Amino acid sequence: MALINLTGIQPIDYTALADEAKPGEGETIAVPVAQLIEENADLFATAGSVGAIIGTETPFDALGDIVGKIDFAVIEFPAFGDGRGFSLAVRLRKDFGFKGEIRAVGPVIPDQALFLLRAGFDTVEASGERKAAFEAALERFPAFYQSDFGGQVSVAHTRHSAEGQRKAS
Amino acid sequence: MYAYDTFDHALVNARVAEFRDQVDRRMTGELTEEEFRPLRLMNGLYLQLHAYMLRVAIPYGTLSSVQMRKLAHVARRYDKGYGHFTTRQNIQYNWPKLSETPDILQELADVEMHAIQTSGNCIRNVTTDQFAGATADEVADPRPYAELIRQWSSFHPEFSFLPRKFKIAITGAQEDRAAVKWHDIGLVVKENKEGEIGFEVLAGGGMGRTPVIAKTMRDFLPVKDLLSYLEAMLRVYNEQGRRDNKYKARIKILVEAMGVEEYTRQVEEEWEKIRHIPIDVPDEEVARIKSFFAPPPLAVLSDEVAEVDDLAAKNFIFKSWLANNTGRHKVPGYVNATISLKPHGGIPGDASDEQMDLVADLADAFSQSEIRVSHEQNLILPHVARKDLPALWAKLDAAGLGTPNAGLLTDIIACPGLDYCSLANTRSIPIAQTITERFDDLKRLMDIGPLKIKISGCINSCGHHHAGHIGILGVDRKGTENYQLLLGGSGAEDASKAAILGPGFDEHGIVDAVEKVVAVYLGEREDGEEFLAAYRRLGPDVFKEAVYGSH
Repeated sequence: MALINLTGIQPIDYTALADEAKPGEGETIAVPVAQLIEENADLFATAGSVGAIIGTETPFDALGDIVGKIDFAVIEFPAFGDGRGFSLAVRLRKDFGFKGEIRAVGPVIPDQALFLLRAGFDTVEASGERKAAFEAALERFPAFYQSDFGGQVSVAHTRHSAEGQRKAS
Repeated sequence: MYAYDTFDHALVNARVAEFRDQVDRRMTGELTEEEFRPLRLMNGLYLQLHAYMLRVAIPYGTLSSVQMRKLAHVARRYDKGYGHFTTRQNIQYNWPKLSETPDILQELADVEMHAIQTSGNCIRNVTTDQFAGATADEVADPRPYAELIRQWSSFHPEFSFLPRKFKIAITGAQEDRAAVKWHDIGLVVKENKEGEIGFEVLAGGGMGRTPVIAKTMRDFLPVKDLLSYLEAMLRVYNEQGRRDNKYKARIKILVEAMGVEEYTRQVEEEWEKIRHIPIDVPDEEVARIKSFFAPPPLAVLSDEVAEVDDLAAKNFIFKSWLANNTGRHKVPGYVNATISLKPHGGIPGDASDEQMDLVADLADAFSQSEIRVSHEQNLILPHVARKDLPALWAKLDAAGLGTPNAGLLTDIIACPGLDYCSLANTRSIPIAQTITERFDDLKRLMDIGPLKIKISGCINSCGHHHAGHIGILGVDRKGTENYQLLLGGSGAEDASKAAILGPGFDEHGIVDAVEKVVAVYLGEREDGEEFLAAYRRLGPDVFKEAVYGSH
């Protein structure tokens, strides 16, 4: 596996907490979101850094209670066509102002690199042989029709800024 | 017409380069077919029964003569010399080679066209009234808003992998020619008491195996709020639409399950949170896009043209064409003229490369170089001076494009059916051909009056049979083609679902059944009463008796 870095963030090196296991003192762990919501006081007290593993079926409002306590989020795509993962990332950034790393895991494909970046993801786990294709896909489009929560401004706004008018002419 | 700036060109060209790379990676095996499939679909490329099929968008149905010539060129150079205009203001090519599709897309990009999101589980080509900007009965031209939506929905970072396809239609006229109530989202342009332009917003319409008429969410949404409202609508759908069963994944199922009140509540709650972040475009951008759709410079002319009246008096075909295929324009002395792609015995919606070239030439000569495509699979010259009609009609008639049947029984919508489509259960085209041959009598057609027949070769309903005054649905019955007869549907502002009349027929029986239904109408109608009104008044029983009674 390779880690594709979309935003240039310093990626977090974590261990997925095994079922029934307790985190080591100061350990960086990722835990399924349901477990974090149910029983989390000890866990947050012991671990050094906690991330939530979020399945795409998770309703975004279930994240409200834990989002202030986690340092990173891992969104698990069961299939690359499951677009709920994109909305979850948008919700984390937009509704909860989450600033930590958001990672995509699962069978996402290189051609989704820019969609992932623009929805708010920082990193993607992918097979090593696809690293180059992911990086090439990131360079594919010069501008976008939508503003996004990563700070990208839409063409519609750029057109009417001084900079945009220079480019459009 | 909208014209691309450097941003639009750069984006569409980037998309072509991306697709070329995807095709290369598929050919080398780097992409699996499963991975390639949604990528090619988002570029309009299907794998059909016999070959790949490329679906090219004609955004909101507007084409320039230059673009039409390019469509003719693509048909000639990359296909078998024809194209098929569809019910969603697209054109389909049935025989492209996979390896050549990137070249086709590049040629299209050169004339500001594309196949972006003409398929796949994303926001599709936004459709509208074919007479937009060229009809007397319009509140405002809907195309600037359709272009706004086109840009906002293209390569959307969050809404490119929806539960299912997503179709938006918009009309600016009271008479709904865009079937907005049959779309995932329907928008009706309105003007409020203060003279401000906005939209009635409808959601949850759709055909397929579960036909649903869209419900109104909001009576008036100001233009400045359009995109943020759509974003909230799509977000709630993307999060909560079903993904476990593709037949229950459209927004219509979500809205039915939640109730439109609850769906609206959730959308409005989300919208309140996002309406002030810059999703919506600046006013200057709305003004910029609107400026491309300024009315063409037409000098007011007289509606009274002796030459037109004289020809109509002595030529019944021209008189019929005038009555059926031309409509009132905003500007006195002009009409919008429908070029029927429904010659009797022909394939609905097909046009040859020569016909496309001719239409481009006629647009240059008579219609400000502009052409429209309708969801009823016809072409339109939107701005024709009445005085030019005899000359225009003569040229159309000579090329097999003068059939005077717009809106009549033989102006049939039909899906490609089993002749092309890998989903179809039955053929559709031959049924349309047989019906139009059976009714190949202009006087009889004129007497019957407005009557919409719509034919689908399977339950996916691409031929809109649910919305047909007479709908025909092909089903597979133990390996043989069987055709069900439906009556009473409408795709217009009075939208209604057609109901199945009784047991199905074989391909000959269905044509006889249509004839019997028409006979009942002719016998029962009151003065000036059109078919749909008569059916609604009479109910199905009298038709049932005529069609099935003798068995």
